[in-house]
Amino acid sequence: MNTLAIVLVVVLILFTIALSIFSRRFTRTTADFYLAGRKVGSFSNASAISGDYLSAASFLGVAGAVYASGLDGVWYAAGFAGGFMVVVLFIASALRRFGEYTVADFAYGRFGSDRIRLITVLAVLLTSLFYMAPQMFGAGTTWQVLVGKGILGMDPYTSGVVVVAAIMALYVGLGGMKGTTLNQIFQFWWLFFAMFMVVAFAFGHGFSYPKALADASKEPIVDTKALTVAELTTPNPATGKTPLEAAKTVMTPEEYAKVEEFVASKKEGKIPVALPSKNKLHELRAMLFREPGHRYNAFDQFSMVLALVLGTAGLPHILNRYYTNPSGSAARRSTFWVLVFIGLFYIMAPIAGLAGLGYIKEHLANGGTIAAANVHGHLVKPDQVMPTLANLLGGQALLGVVSAGAFAAMFSTIGGLLIASASAVGHDVYEKYINPNASEAKRVLVGRIAVLVFSGLALTIGLAIPKFGLDQAYPALIAMMVTWAFSVGASAFVPMLLTGIWWKGTTERGATAGIFVGLGSSIAFIFLNILQTLGKIPKEGAIGFLGSLTFPVLFTFPLALLTIIVVSKLDGQLPKNVDEIWMRIHGTAHERHERDLGLDKVGGLLGTKSH
Amino acid sequence: MTDTTAHAAGKAPAVAHVRHGEHVDTIESVDAVFREQRKLSFTYGAIFFAVTLAIPAASVWWEDWYAKPIWGGFTANYLFVSLFYYVFLWVMAWTYSKQADKLDEKLARMAEEIAARSLGEKEA
Repeated sequence: MNTLAIVLVVVLILFTIALSIFSRRFTRTTADFYLAGRKVGSFSNASAISGDYLSAASFLGVAGAVYASGLDGVWYAAGFAGGFMVVVLFIASALRRFGEYTVADFAYGRFGSDRIRLITVLAVLLTSLFYMAPQMFGAGTTWQVLVGKGILGMDPYTSGVVVVAAIMALYVGLGGMKGTTLNQIFQFWWLFFAMFMVVAFAFGHGFSYPKALADASKEPIVDTKALTVAELTTPNPATGKTPLEAAKTVMTPEEYAKVEEFVASKKEGKIPVALPSKNKLHELRAMLFREPGHRYNAFDQFSMVLALVLGTAGLPHILNRYYTNPSGSAARRSTFWVLVFIGLFYIMAPIAGLAGLGYIKEHLANGGTIAAANVHGHLVKPDQVMPTLANLLGGQALLGVVSAGAFAAMFSTIGGLLIASASAVGHDVYEKYINPNASEAKRVLVGRIAVLVFSGLALTIGLAIPKFGLDQAYPALIAMMVTWAFSVGASAFVPMLLTGIWWKGTTERGATAGIFVGLGSSIAFIFLNILQTLGKIPKEGAIGFLGSLTFPVLFTFPLALLTIIVVSKLDGQLPKNVDEIWMRIHGTAHERHERDLGLDKVGGLLGTKSH
Repeated sequence: MTDTTAHAAGKAPAVAHVRHGEHVDTIESVDAVFREQRKLSFTYGAIFFAVTLAIPAASVWWEDWYAKPIWGGFTANYLFVSLFYYVFLWVMAWTYSKQADKLDEKLARMAEEIAARSLGEKEA
């Protein structure tokens, strides 16, 4: 990493902390701390939601997925964006109209029991931790790639995890939702600018999208991996071929000779190799960049789309942001702008991935070198395509912009997760059960302590992931972990929210059972998949089939929905004040009254001090 | 200050309503608009899911969609997923939001008419 890039990252960090300190004077009440005083306008909130949503996985990972997997990677971007349609059509305005603080508040207010509030809190915490894991793993690997050196005697990965966790604890703890919102707005526009600059530089260098796509699809896609001697020489049970033999079919004689030499020397460590890829969707076709099937078979194509689309509506840190809008219609407008912002972002990300494929190959073919490990003209780690391309096209200045963008993406998402977790503990548990009479100052203090605790948990998770060997077991671990979090959120919350909002007949027992089944089944499927990938359970039989499901949503979402409907029908015990609840969710008297009083005005984010 | 009166809690009165200041929602008006809102949301939702799931379906079964280049290296599949799908989302979100806003206005008018009628009955 160059000096300019380090300077830009440090400036970003200092600006982030300064913004939090500045916003601290406007954070005196819990409504300020958790909801930014419910005064965030549609455009600002859309920017903040986009910052909250676009993590390092989106900034580095989508371009990387396109670079490595072609059209299957493009689908990731489209699915991430499509999820907001579910939010705008079914959830956004109703959630805001209900007018509470958190998803658990909605569950309690709608169904009226402590049991459902507490199980929702548990689901929020587990979903947040599942989503925190890829962010923290991303923090460590991004530091490895962009900085490359450790600090205070730690290795680069640990340094990244520790630095990011410490900064997040500081800025979220200080600024609360107002500070986090301001930071997320700034961070979103920074990473949007970084993505735009990379794409603009590519077009400035004569990049042609249709031609590049045609060129990329001339030869079948290859997989690039770094393997040990043992891995290279162990035959695949299905084909009987070793990876070494498979590599010979796609690598040049010069490249292959190096691999053979490595195997013969029986050296420790790994060597990058290129392997032929298989079309998983159309087995008789070669796997081309512009066609689907590199990563997902027919079943997984549908499962992935549903997981991404439904998962967005089940992310508690995104849902909580809807409470910061001044009205239900503002919540809808926010979502429209989110779709515009992240849509534009996700249109650019595949362009960057495709441009990376061409320019990196061209650079290497012309005798250039790239510090990141590469083979056969490809990067071994696809997540490195954004910084590598930036360096090639715009030199150290553009690499600096992209590096700061990657850290901005991590900060904004982890910040949102910390606020969601702190709300669940500080607001839903402490304020409601432990000390309902606590002063505002004490409530905010508990929120800040919760932020610290969850930062510690995030740190622990980030450090633990490599110790379990997950990074070795899953080639695209960040993207995989993100889909796990989406699966948990989609299965635990979305059926409860959809039925709670749209079906008056939903009962507390039905909703509680649905959350329990969705949460439990999705986590069980995920752990079965992990155990199978680590070789702890067999691939055959019923357990083997369940463990092989990459995206459990296709089963767990309908299962949770069906549970709610069946249990509610059998139970039949509606809340006594169900009509009042209904008017609260779908009525507008409250908003009209607030409009009369001028309470629907936005723009207080910077201008009003809390008293 | 907000003056909230909920007449439905714990009972089943003839007319349940919620009052905030001068503004009133009745269960009849909310239910009527809710039905239209549900129709709107679920119609848009059906279109959204049909289009979204049609893409992987076409990827599995329609070779001209996923394998035939139509412009440079673009297949119809790649072009739609990388560009037109977003335009589809933007148009849907915009038109839906506008129609939902109109339903909100309808609810407001309906609620005000009911409140005015109720006031008139009291004066009479």
